[in-house]
Amino acid sequence: MKPASGPTVPTWLVIILMTSFIVFLFQKILWLVVPGLLALVLYYCLQPLVQTLVQAGLRHHDAVKVVAALLFLATVLALLGLLTLASSRAAAWQETLTYYEQGGLEFLARTEDALAEKLPLLRKAGLLPSSPTNLDAVAERVAQRYLGVVLLQVFHWLPSLLLVPYLAYFVLRDGNRLKKEIIRSVPNAFFEKSLLLFNRVDSNLQSFFIGLMKLTFLDTVCLATGLWLLGISFPVVLGLVAAVLAWLPYVGSVVGCVLVVCVAATDFPKEPVTIYGCMVLFLCVRILDDFVFLPMTIGRGLRIHPVLSVLMLFLGAAVAGPTGLVLVLPVLGVVAVIIETLAQIVADHRLRSRFRQAQKLKTLVAGLGV
Amino acid sequence: MKFFRTADDEPRLKELKGLSLFKELSLRELRELDELLHERTYHKDEVIFDEGDVGLGLFIVVSGRVRVVSSHVALQQLAPQFGPGEFFGELGLFDEAPRTARAVAMEPTRALALLRTEMVALLERNHRVAGKILFELSRTVCRRSRKLALSEQHSPVL
Repeated sequence: MKPASGPTVPTWLVIILMTSFIVFLFQKILWLVVPGLLALVLYYCLQPLVQTLVQAGLRHHDAVKVVAALLFLATVLALLGLLTLASSRAAAWQETLTYYEQGGLEFLARTEDALAEKLPLLRKAGLLPSSPTNLDAVAERVAQRYLGVVLLQVFHWLPSLLLVPYLAYFVLRDGNRLKKEIIRSVPNAFFEKSLLLFNRVDSNLQSFFIGLMKLTFLDTVCLATGLWLLGISFPVVLGLVAAVLAWLPYVGSVVGCVLVVCVAATDFPKEPVTIYGCMVLFLCVRILDDFVFLPMTIGRGLRIHPVLSVLMLFLGAAVAGPTGLVLVLPVLGVVAVIIETLAQIVADHRLRSRFRQAQKLKTLVAGLGV
Repeated sequence: MKFFRTADDEPRLKELKGLSLFKELSLRELRELDELLHERTYHKDEVIFDEGDVGLGLFIVVSGRVRVVSSHVALQQLAPQFGPGEFFGELGLFDEAPRTARAVAMEPTRALALLRTEMVALLERNHRVAGKILFELSRTVCRRSRKLALSEQHSPVL
């Protein structure tokens, strides 16, 4: 009879504990984890291009330099384009932002009024403000309270984000060499298993990040098409922003939906059907995400049971808040592979006895040399 | 910056070119393949892989000599040996079945390992290189099978 494959219950407990600990640790060094993860995303996106150049005859290092130069050029051109656009349209953008901010707040005030009218108990219970909301005062309060924080965060993250291309370049250039050097240091007895472990981790990370990019693209296309059909302004930008926000499980989708509802409420203040249409659109895309896109992209790569995924999301959120929500699944995927392989190595007495024999031979050879 | 180089510039590639399995590969193909190969050194009498181990890939002898012993009756009599340029453990490249024999270094040996996961990645990325290697591999396997069928005492399929 074939022995049962896959991790045992104690192994799973170790995997879950390790994942929680790593997520907790990552939250503490987020300034390094975020550029590291973004560098990995960039690495997996650029790696096929490097491979193509290597196949065309370039040496690996030269191919990496060419790709890095192209990326640098594209970034500079994009920044120049953005700056030119911003300098010519800054005033218009600010007006648009203020317009939609006002629209969102008006929608909020209208909703409050409607709720107070239908359910007066809410106002009595203090769940709704006792007097109608002063929109200008609210806008000013929000600006005073959060603008400084937002600007501070931008300056706080800027140096870390500058690390992204730097890290990606060195991972592209020396990643494989580093892997080979690590594998070279592994004793012969464990070499094959260790190499398999490396390849699995690499494959899991690649599946996750490439899957995430594909998922973002699919979400953007679906949302942009839906919003365009509903007649909402800036469908592609809103679709993209909402798709990126969805990287934050559950919370991100709600924030994205609120954002789009604010725009819809400003564009069509007298047409609640459009606003409900936006909500239905988000709900449909969410369902498509969970049952079609996610298994097609990320889920297939990581091979994590849906129940465990949901439980780990709750655990990640409890341990490290929103950071935990985002990081828990990729960390779980990697930790599961590492612990599973290590458990196999520890349980394999043949490998351990081969290691001991190799050590004896090494000592013998060293003795002969003396 | 020197983009294109010849085999003479890179002794490692020259060494790879000298191995029967890679003799059909061009310089640029060898360069790509080199990223996937892992060099290992073994002491005399060190076990490279054991009978019953899950096969994860093949080994190519660069220098030294490897003896293969098996508990299987068909392979017991043969006790094949592999020298520089020859490869063994090739079935591990195709499935995860247990190894049918034990490979032991007869003298200090340098070998290159090519694992199935990396071969599959190469197959997906560059059919041409993978195709050439697999064709050469198949030719050797056929030759060994024929010799085994004719009961010649020579390298069998492992």
